Amino acid sequence: MMVADSVELKREDREFIDSLVSKHRGRPGMLLTILESIQENHPQRYLPDDFLEYLAARMGMPTAQVYSVVTFYSLFNLKPQGKHTVCICRGTACHTRGSLRLLEGVRLQLGLREGEEEGSADKMTGTTADGKFTVRTVACFGQCALAPVAEVDHRILGHVNERALEREVEYLRKARR
Amino acid sequence: MKRITDLSSFNAAHEAGLKKLLPAAGRIAVGMGTCGVGNGAEGLYHALSDGIQGRGLGFHLAQVGCYGPCSEEPLVNVWLPGKPLVILHKVQAQDVAALLDDLSAGRIPEELALCKVEEWDHITGRVKYGSGLPDLPKWDEIPFFAGQSKIVLRNCGLINPGDIEEYLAVGGYQALYKVLIDANPEMVIEQIKAAKLRGRGGAGYQTGLKWDMLRKAVADQKYLICNADEGDPGAYMNRNEIEGDPHGLIEGMVIGGYVTGATEGILYVRAEYPLAVHRLNLAIQEAEERGLLGENILGRGFSFKLSLVEGAGAFVCGEETALIQSLEGRAGRPTPRPPYPAESGLWGTPTNINNVETWYNVAPIVVKGPAWFTETGSPKSPGTKVFSLVGKVQRTGLVEMPLGTPLKTFVYDIGGGAPPMKTVKSVQTGGPSGGCIPKEMFDTPVDYETLAQLGSIMGSGGMVVMDEDNCMVDVARYFIEFTHSESCGKCVPCRVGLDQMLAILNRFTAGKATEADLGMLDELSRMIRDMSLCGLGQTAPNPVLTTLRHFRQEFEDHLRAHRCRAGVCENLALSPCENSCPLHMNIPRFLELLKADRLEDAFLSVVMDNPLPASTGRVCQHPCDNRCRRAGIDEAVNMRDVHCYIADSIYKGGRYDEMIERVLQHRFPPTGRKVAIVGAGPTGLTCAFYLAMMGHSVTVYENNADAGGMLRYALPEYRLPKSVLDDELKLIYRLGVEFVFNSVVGETITLNDLSTMYDGVFLSIGTWKETWVYLPGTELKGVLHALPFLEALSKEEQVPLGRKVVVIGGGNAAIDSARTALRMGAEVTVIYRRERKDMPAIPEETEAAEDEGVKYVFLAAPHRIVSGEEGGVVAIECAKTTLGEFDSSGRRKPVPTGEIQRFECDTVILAVGETVDLDFLKASGLKLKEKEKMLDVSPFTLETSRSNFYAGGDLISGASNVSNAMGYGKKAARNMDQKLMGAFRWPKLWPEFEYSMVPPAHVSECRRHHIHELPADERAKGFMEAVTGLTAVEAMEETGRCLRCDIREGNH
Repeated sequence: MMVADSVELKREDREFIDSLVSKHRGRPGMLLTILESIQENHPQRYLPDDFLEYLAARMGMPTAQVYSVVTFYSLFNLKPQGKHTVCICRGTACHTRGSLRLLEGVRLQLGLREGEEEGSADKMTGTTADGKFTVRTVACFGQCALAPVAEVDHRILGHVNERALEREVEYLRKARR
Repeated sequence: MKRITDLSSFNAAHEAGLKKLLPAAGRIAVGMGTCGVGNGAEGLYHALSDGIQGRGLGFHLAQVGCYGPCSEEPLVNVWLPGKPLVILHKVQAQDVAALLDDLSAGRIPEELALCKVEEWDHITGRVKYGSGLPDLPKWDEIPFFAGQSKIVLRNCGLINPGDIEEYLAVGGYQALYKVLIDANPEMVIEQIKAAKLRGRGGAGYQTGLKWDMLRKAVADQKYLICNADEGDPGAYMNRNEIEGDPHGLIEGMVIGGYVTGATEGILYVRAEYPLAVHRLNLAIQEAEERGLLGENILGRGFSFKLSLVEGAGAFVCGEETALIQSLEGRAGRPTPRPPYPAESGLWGTPTNINNVETWYNVAPIVVKGPAWFTETGSPKSPGTKVFSLVGKVQRTGLVEMPLGTPLKTFVYDIGGGAPPMKTVKSVQTGGPSGGCIPKEMFDTPVDYETLAQLGSIMGSGGMVVMDEDNCMVDVARYFIEFTHSESCGKCVPCRVGLDQMLAILNRFTAGKATEADLGMLDELSRMIRDMSLCGLGQTAPNPVLTTLRHFRQEFEDHLRAHRCRAGVCENLALSPCENSCPLHMNIPRFLELLKADRLEDAFLSVVMDNPLPASTGRVCQHPCDNRCRRAGIDEAVNMRDVHCYIADSIYKGGRYDEMIERVLQHRFPPTGRKVAIVGAGPTGLTCAFYLAMMGHSVTVYENNADAGGMLRYALPEYRLPKSVLDDELKLIYRLGVEFVFNSVVGETITLNDLSTMYDGVFLSIGTWKETWVYLPGTELKGVLHALPFLEALSKEEQVPLGRKVVVIGGGNAAIDSARTALRMGAEVTVIYRRERKDMPAIPEETEAAEDEGVKYVFLAAPHRIVSGEEGGVVAIECAKTTLGEFDSSGRRKPVPTGEIQRFECDTVILAVGETVDLDFLKASGLKLKEKEKMLDVSPFTLETSRSNFYAGGDLISGASNVSNAMGYGKKAARNMDQKLMGAFRWPKLWPEFEYSMVPPAHVSECRRHHIHELPADERAKGFMEAVTGLTAVEAMEETGRCLRCDIREGNH
């Protein structure tokens, strides 16, 4: 088993993880909650490998067990996320109202190519090379009455069409310059 | 916050809540569920808050959950003392000032009102708002709510979910108080059993039995879990329930905890529902502060801890054993049962898991008793179920109906059916574990057993309505893609089986499937269903099995004809417009060619795809408009009128002869094969064009004296000038097609003659025989049938027409007859038995007729035609109809009432449908379809039961329209050539065009151009063409509106 001290981490990251572990000590079921907090706290909203190793050592469990949890749930990211997130709902109502077209449109617009993406149209995530945008899908937002639905930086857009989504993304793209 | 420890503190909190619900100054509450917020409720709330503060008004402003009709959001409910509670819909921030003006003056803004509530039954209590406002419908009188019974959603949209006192005000926590005072847990479990409350997560297991097991289990620790990992795509009931009424869930669980002896409860909520998580956490904290949760609840010595865990995005965690794994901090992979959670669940202790909605039913059963509960719903499945009604219906939202309600009530009565111009095809219930139920089975009552019989399940309550734009093969593929990626990978049948199924379904949608794939799909489905470890795998094949069962035709279309009629499977179609066109015109190509200012190339492209482009350009029903993706942005591209423009420009521009030469250059060398075509209508002409182009010698037999069929003899001059048709026919004559006019097959020449004289025969006889209707008086002088009437006029024969004409019918023939009679100087009324929106005629035509002065009477069915003294018509009597139940076409059936209306008239034109001459068909010896009285042909080749005899058009489809008819002619030519030549030569016929394959960088801002109608009074005077086509500039701008769906990744 990994010794916690052998992992190279910045002091504040170490302390943050330590505080989470001691807060939930004795409750092994809280692994998911701890991982969610670490990811939320990371500026690029992901779980770097060395964080996972450190956490496993601190919790006294094999890194493989932590890794198996992280890779199982779609909420966890193992790669840095873009500054902006465009999330396309792939629920049934959205699918029947053309959400695949929205997904294809935004991928084309941002120039996301094979290799920058993982998964199929049902469950994909990809980040642009410049790290500005992450495009991902969600199984269902539960916003079916507004289908098709997209979420741009945690703001829900209901009844969205290709042109409206294109404008939203273009706005963010221009805003950063 | 004061803890509630006895009846007086309980009542004090109850009273405090009532003061907030019914404050002396009035109340305004904004629906702020996620659906409301997604529609702008947040901005609205702030505008209201600023307005109230700025003006110093005394209204109590509150946030509530969603009241149900999500498509009407943002919803605001307003209450003024003494008046009913009024639900306002689609309220925008700019309405706020006027809204506050009204309310502060004591007025209800009725123009924004959806409905009113005079008194609300919260089940655990009643709130009397007031009466009045007679012009507003009561909530259960509007179609969306009619028949709904709100038990689970009793509080949603009415009380503030963030204020426990409002929940107490409507009788909340009363059930818990009662249970704790009675101190008789067994009795409560007996009540739940007697109520026959079944698990609302989908499996439908008896809740009382599960609770009993947990109660009897002996352990120090026992857990209750609420499964709020609502992962079914297309379902969002639990989200709204929690967002609107979190305390209802908590109360159910605390009662459950007390009666089962559980010590701790866990709420497992999807992380994708942040608002639900937030409100639940808030409610838990409030309940703890008030002593309704935690230690020593209500001072009765019972303690119950409740905590919330967020799921991390794994569908399989809806499976109870996987959920437990996840709570224990592991990957959510299910474990085999037994042991069941009731024996060994979370941390190895006895555990009970129920769905969100199940918990909401607990307090009502405790307060009202099981006998009350079983009054609603069906005997085996009492109570209600909340459904999320979404997809292709006009009204979407959360619907709570008694179990056993038929599907059509949901789709048509509540949902309002498909959007305009569309038809509902099926309903998908139960998400990835359910199936698609075809519209023919919409009489099915919705409960656990009946849906299972159809191969679907009720599931958690998702109901996604699909229309003709949805491909059932794609839907099956979509769900398998979903379950395939959500499979945890533990058991082989699910992991490997779904992978294989997805590969097969991908072959179907790509048009590469084989016959063996069809069988394998069925076999794999059964194997995965029977052998998987958990519910995910066991039910994953349901979407495939149900579509195979109810929509097999669509699989066969993909497999054998490489066709996806819905136009969803991209690899099987060039573009949605091409796919919807009966002639499969390459529409993006001719648009692009014209855009590049290559009119002649555009014409060649058009005429090779459609040999009658100017005629169809005027009269086609343009199904392409309905499928154009541009319609999602503003309006469809006007494709029909652009190809009409292209054809007209060539015919009138003096370059037609050159163009005919260009077409002839593509003709194949003579083959020496001889083909006969019976009928020179659009179907026969199209078939003749293509067969002649492929080098065959073609003879057309026609019983009239000229070619064109319905185009010449049924369509009035003002819609299609004969000169246009004559122009188009030049090309067919120049191809050397021979015509034998005035020849009646069966009389002047027999089918046997044709068989010996020709190598192949194509039958394309139109529907010239009028449908016989039984109506007293049809034999009278002055009663005409539409087609003979139009035909006589086109042959310039004299038709005796009176001054007052009544036309019976709602199709194109009815409108054509009406507008023609009007032009002959008559006063015209069209009588139709259904509603205007149900008329099969092209809507532009019905409107044009109305502008010209044609009057309509809807919902009237002819009863008898009244004769005068000289044997002529003097009037027609009609029975008023009302709209009855929905039929399988999705239209309400007209039901005659006893009330008779009389319309004075001297002429009646019957336009109630046409059929094929059956006598000819019977004599032909060809096989007929048993039921439909049509010719039976192979759907894929159009070959009849007699070898080398093909048929198309109305003969095999019944009365249809010009483009459909021509589509059959084209398809028959392709297959006849293949049969005659023993080789598939069809693709070689098409000229190659070089044109831009770059999609537009931006969507053009230009709006759709329409053709120009002459002023109604002017055009109604004569038979000149009633419209003028697009101008050159307009046609060019239209081409720039195309989104170029034909260009896809990889081909540019």
